[in-house]
Amino acid sequence: MNRQLLTGNAAAAWGARLAQVDYVPAFPITPQTEIIETLARWFERGEMTGRLTMLESEHSMVTAAAAAAATGVRVFTATSSQGLLYAMEMVFTVPGWRAPFVLVNVSRGLASPITLESDHNDVLATRDSGFLQVHCATCQEVLDHVLLAYRIAEDSRVRLPVIVNLDGFTLSFTREPVDLPAAEAVQQFLPPFDPQNVRFRASKPVSQAVAVLAGSPYSYFRYETHLAAQQALSVLDEIAEQFFQAFGRRTGPLATYRSEDADMVFVMIGAGATKACEAADRLREAGVAAGVVRPRWLRPYPAAALRAALAGKKAVAVIDQDLSMGQGGVLHAELAAALYGMPNAPMLASIIGGLGGRNIPPEEFYEIAKRMLGFAARGETPPPQLLFTERELRQVRKLQAIAVVERKELGEKP
Amino acid sequence: MSDAIRRMKDLPSTHLLGTGTPMCAGCGGLEALHQIYDVLGTNTVFVNAAGCMTLLSVYPFTPFRGSWLYTAMACAPAGAQGVRDALDILLTSKRLPPEDDLQTIVLTGDGAAYGMGLSSTSAAIDRNLDFLYICYDNEGYGNTGQQSSPATPHAAQTATNTGSRGFPGYKKDLFGIWAAHRPAYVATVIGAEPLDLAKKIEKAKSLRGPRLILALAPCPTGWDFDPAESVEIGRLAVRSGVWPLKEYIDGKVIHNHVPHPRAPVEEYLKTQGRFAHLFSPERNDALLGEIQAHIDAYWAAVNK
Amino acid sequence: MYRIRFHGRGGQGIKTAGRILGTAFFEEGFEVQDAPIYGAERRGAPMFAYVRAARAPIQERGVITHPDLVVVADETLVPVPAANLMLGVTADTVLLLNSGETPDTWRQRLNTGATVIALPVADAITDRAALPHIGTRCTGAAARLLGVISRAALERALRTELRALDDASLKANLDEAFRAFDAMAAHEGVVHEGAAISARAYEAPDWTDLPFEPARVAAPDIFAPATSVQVRTGLWRTMRPVIDYAHCHRCVWVCSTLCPDSAIHVRADGAPEIDYEHCKGCLVCAAVCPPHAIQAVPEHEAAKIEAGGAG
Repeated sequence: MNRQLLTGNAAAAWGARLAQVDYVPAFPITPQTEIIETLARWFERGEMTGRLTMLESEHSMVTAAAAAAATGVRVFTATSSQGLLYAMEMVFTVPGWRAPFVLVNVSRGLASPITLESDHNDVLATRDSGFLQVHCATCQEVLDHVLLAYRIAEDSRVRLPVIVNLDGFTLSFTREPVDLPAAEAVQQFLPPFDPQNVRFRASKPVSQAVAVLAGSPYSYFRYETHLAAQQALSVLDEIAEQFFQAFGRRTGPLATYRSEDADMVFVMIGAGATKACEAADRLREAGVAAGVVRPRWLRPYPAAALRAALAGKKAVAVIDQDLSMGQGGVLHAELAAALYGMPNAPMLASIIGGLGGRNIPPEEFYEIAKRMLGFAARGETPPPQLLFTERELRQVRKLQAIAVVERKELGEKP
Repeated sequence: MSDAIRRMKDLPSTHLLGTGTPMCAGCGGLEALHQIYDVLGTNTVFVNAAGCMTLLSVYPFTPFRGSWLYTAMACAPAGAQGVRDALDILLTSKRLPPEDDLQTIVLTGDGAAYGMGLSSTSAAIDRNLDFLYICYDNEGYGNTGQQSSPATPHAAQTATNTGSRGFPGYKKDLFGIWAAHRPAYVATVIGAEPLDLAKKIEKAKSLRGPRLILALAPCPTGWDFDPAESVEIGRLAVRSGVWPLKEYIDGKVIHNHVPHPRAPVEEYLKTQGRFAHLFSPERNDALLGEIQAHIDAYWAAVNK
Repeated sequence: MYRIRFHGRGGQGIKTAGRILGTAFFEEGFEVQDAPIYGAERRGAPMFAYVRAARAPIQERGVITHPDLVVVADETLVPVPAANLMLGVTADTVLLLNSGETPDTWRQRLNTGATVIALPVADAITDRAALPHIGTRCTGAAARLLGVISRAALERALRTELRALDDASLKANLDEAFRAFDAMAAHEGVVHEGAAISARAYEAPDWTDLPFEPARVAAPDIFAPATSVQVRTGLWRTMRPVIDYAHCHRCVWVCSTLCPDSAIHVRADGAPEIDYEHCKGCLVCAAVCPPHAIQAVPEHEAAKIEAGGAG
């Protein structure tokens, strides 16, 4: 076993290298850039074979990625935040090509105002695109899920592109010990890409991604893409088992932590969820039966597994590191839909926190647990709660005061 | 396919491009495309951007005997990059026999070529992508009803320029923009001059690197003329000097045909409804003079 | 509610026809809904427009599947599957065909119990510029068949919807519309308002659970070459180019190369041959033929000659 300290970005690059990707169309953006720089170096040194091509935008990058996949090679690419949104037309277009590839997204809050640190609005904007998406909580999971993503994307029962998401800064620039699997073991788990009949060859002409001009064939192709995405859940179970046999690590659509006998459960995705696990440990020491349920895969959405994991709990708090303006937390709404009508459904609360990398300290987890259990005991559901303190508001007031002072200095009235 | 096309008689009449497409009757773009396809052959993958010709392939019908990939309006050159890179990777790693290789072709209208797709085009040329870009230029967003595009000529009426002066801008010099990138080849063609067209496609096919074939595409629907006039209007575009037939190769621009005597531009403008406001209810001599002066200045520079 | 469907081809003024009728209804105090439906296809390709009119606000939308009146502006659409002329036509429907043939012929040909009325084509249309009148003629006739639209309301509607035309074109369109309106006097009020679509007795949709199919089947990809030849674009044609082989010089590199649609092939004997299955009738070939050996013939005349074995 080769255990090394790797950042999330390095783990993503190692995933691509071990998957023996042929082609990397690339474009830089913070906090993803390190991934493509690492891969570029490996290609230049001959440690990877194939080609890395710098495109002029993420829109072109995703186009080139899908076009190369449609030609029959294994493709890896990466982006973040504004880049993912700049590519959005093609993000929604290429799943319909049914050409599989893997895109790593390093989550970062969206403009405006523009910022650098992480939240999940960027990747959640792709949730209706047809890309599958998996959220990693550790650097190890980043590497593992790049490999898993290729297996699922390329499976003839799925054939869809996959986004592997990791949180900017909290994973991208954070080093953790990562088991680097042996190249031979990876090759056994992940054989070369078989594009079947979807590729361009002079001897086998094909017209790909052609238009339809009527609702009926359109419905057919769109719904088939949905069925393939749904089918990925059972394929995932099968492949997760093979992954466990090969590498000894359990994975799957849902990660649960001390949730079986919990009264109160935090639901989170991504790296922030490990903090919820830590909080659950401390809460248990304090006599509160807390646990964590963390969906890894959001597309396909593991609704049945979530229902099973949350049935009979007293209180569930969804901590959304995202915000749908005018609605609230995206994960909360999706979970509410999944739990609707379940006879022993828990009280479900919505917490908005961690926007733009705003820290969620342990005390906030403890307080959430305490308050939520209180509401549940009274048979009430609390209104959505933003994690934002008096002290933070005072800080913002100071900033605003400075902003006004600057204007005064320019000779304008406040 | 003949080895060399010298005379009209040598033109292939193979008609590799299938009939039954939904292009308008008399489409000057389709006229150019089927001639081009006969020379390029079917060992091609056409990467297409949103435009009239997106509808060449509507499931389950395609006129192509080779391959096709629809992308989106801005990014056909990036799609070509992905296909070309993938084919190269497969060839290098011996996963693709050389005879299964394909020429990578981009096919777009002027909206993509002159406007939305210009950034991805410029970058593909920067990367020295081995591809042939075919633009069918009908001087407006034809697929949506002929609104003005960056290729619309001065004074033409469009769906967004219905006033008596027509389009206030000037047609962008895409040939010059391409040439400034110093690519392998740039040529203007028109379906109404099939011999010139075929020779240029043969030349383009023999070269590697970024290549542009810019085809003026007389458009009965968008330019408002009887479809039967499509070829005559194309010939007039050349005779009047509106559409110079030229090439850029090895750093030099060559005019293949200097119209002499050059027909007054009026003869060309009169044939199309989009210029009717220059003649009725009364002649707009100022605007007509301006258009003619522009063309005269162009050819004066050529003949210097 | 009156439910009316107009069928025609792109460029025949069908959208305008629907709007004129919609405005005429509106002038008569009806609640109205009108809209054209066309794919991204082109001039000459089948399209349709629909008009709903009622005394109460209209909640139905979209395609009319229970028409009271179907107006066919272009009889060559009859065999075109994409045109779907007979959708929802029953014995209660009135079919108005712009055609020189008799209603009996059409009833037999279409095998329908619907009331069929022919609006005789004015003259052989040899000038394609005259085509936009087709829509207004059909509207004039349709207005009379409905029996609830006055001549005055029709005129106001025509003047509103055709206000962009110059005086001469407007007059030509008004004349066409009123000639058709007058010609239909004997059939005034033949179209009856259709009832609401009942929820008591109806044909249930045969829904199916879409099975999962692998991407190699369920992606919008075409694996066969040149499948477009199965599309008979020859049906778009209103004028037919006919080669006079006695005068043809066999300079096929002209007509065969310049035909935009690849619809002129070269026979083994070196002569050009027009593929009428696909020729859209643009007449570029007739315009460029050096010895002027290609003549343009109105399609319905050419079809007649063909049927008579004289072609």
